[in-house]
Amino acid sequence: MLDAIVSVCRLRKLYGATVALDEVSFEARRGEVFALLGPNGSGKTSTLEVLEGLRRADGGSLSIDGIDPACQPRKLWSRIGVQLQTSALPSAMTVDETMRFFCTYHGVRTRHDLIERLGLSEKASTPYAQLSAGQQRRLALAVALANEPAVVFLDEPTAGLDVQSRADLHALVGELKARGATVVLATHDMAEAEKLADRVAILLRGRVAAIGSPRQLTVAARRKTRISVATENGRLADRRPELPAAAFEGVTDGYVSYLCSSVATTVSAIVAWLERDGDRLVDLRVERPGLEECFLEITADHPVEGGAA
Amino acid sequence: MKSFWVHLAYDSRSALRDSGRLLLFHLFPLAFFGLCGGFMATANPYFRQAMLPGMVLFAVMSATLLAAPSALVQARENGVFRSFRVNGVPSVSILSIPVIGTALHVALAATVISVAGAWLFGGRVPASMAGFAAAALLSYATHAGVGVLIGVVADRDSSAILAAQFVFVPSILLGGMMVPERILSAVVQRVALLLPATHCMRAFAWLGGMGDGPAPWSSLTVLGSSTVLSFALAGALFEWDARANRPSRRRYAAILATVPYAVAALIGA
Repeated sequence: MLDAIVSVCRLRKLYGATVALDEVSFEARRGEVFALLGPNGSGKTSTLEVLEGLRRADGGSLSIDGIDPACQPRKLWSRIGVQLQTSALPSAMTVDETMRFFCTYHGVRTRHDLIERLGLSEKASTPYAQLSAGQQRRLALAVALANEPAVVFLDEPTAGLDVQSRADLHALVGELKARGATVVLATHDMAEAEKLADRVAILLRGRVAAIGSPRQLTVAARRKTRISVATENGRLADRRPELPAAAFEGVTDGYVSYLCSSVATTVSAIVAWLERDGDRLVDLRVERPGLEECFLEITADHPVEGGAA
Repeated sequence: MKSFWVHLAYDSRSALRDSGRLLLFHLFPLAFFGLCGGFMATANPYFRQAMLPGMVLFAVMSATLLAAPSALVQARENGVFRSFRVNGVPSVSILSIPVIGTALHVALAATVISVAGAWLFGGRVPASMAGFAAAALLSYATHAGVGVLIGVVADRDSSAILAAQFVFVPSILLGGMMVPERILSAVVQRVALLLPATHCMRAFAWLGGMGDGPAPWSSLTVLGSSTVLSFALAGALFEWDARANRPSRRRYAAILATVPYAVAALIGA
């Protein structure tokens, strides 16, 4: 891949006898949002912490913007922004002081614009300990972006955020991408990954189980499209006719569900059946398999027995 | 350099916002000084002679042994150092700046004790104020090294408190702050040599011109070498992250900081 800015090749990480990461390989391109998905203990945070220079790898090679995290951590930290999953800032430090403090260490002007962008202006004089969990996460994110990083690592960035803050963060990730930054995020949230990520790696038990764009992953999934139909007289629910390229799934709240491999064929068959039977269509919903279904399918194929942090 | 000053300014300000640190930097030593000055000065004639060095040393120990180790342990446990690390804050700043910031608070408390001790309670005034200040500085550096080392190697807050009390309490009883070292039994005198406070009180007596004995070169050597050893070990054993590793056996190397005291106790110097 020509424009890879994050390159991970056969990464291995051990905690004592426990293999946390085993031959993990992926690349994130410049200006791309790359998501690491996986259940608890699959190795997402371990992967990020090795990339961030916080832990040493036990094997494999890593490169972030041409820097080996183990060899040049100081150079790395000047180029990346990191929002850790578990971290804190000094409890007595106000929002303004925090920004000034870290900007000074990064050698950049104090980024009041980030405080404003992340909705913390009114809390500028509030100590960290008195901020809500969501405000603390936003302040950590502001600090992560203070040095205009080329690569931003976000570990569960929306954990503890309310709906509005989540939407703001998603917009901010979009802005980072627009200015050419690469965002590598670890998340449990499938909808978030599907919405934000250009490409996704699914980690299971310290291994990459699948990698690709959300669309590529969902297309590759075996799951079928669900068609749910409500009719005026409910005859479809009573008769449950056999339809071409579809299998009856069940009836819920008056909706009859079929799992089908060809949406067009099944919908045509349903409409034709209703016309013949003298019933009328009230509602028809088509639910294509999403990343979550794909994820569940992959995890079902690789049952998790234990794993890493 | 700018980052150093910004960090130091923040550290000094943050102590003013933290009631726990203010208590240990100012209220606790000044209240203890007031109580001792009020009662001990009349009941114990020796105390008038040892009041100023003893109470200044108490303020030093309160700030360095009782406050500093817990602050380091809590910051590491809470993940503050992880945030510092990924934002390029060096470990030398983390270890040195609180020591410098705390020194300003201790200097203030020590000044109040020195002035009020002589004026209100008739404490003996040092013949050499410069020497007294030098002894106070040496005492601070030694105890700050011990406090930082405890904070670096303690795996949890309770361990840090226990280790600090292990130095603090015997220092009050045997360190020459309340009763003169010479009236202790020979065995207890040897035990007292294991404590930094004993050597600090000797340094105060000689450098401040408050005693008639010979120069305590052995004590000055013990304090100097202990200070260097403590800070060097703290730097070498510093861990950024409480989660990254299980408590390492490396931390037992901190025992090396006691070698100067052990040697002093062994040879009785």
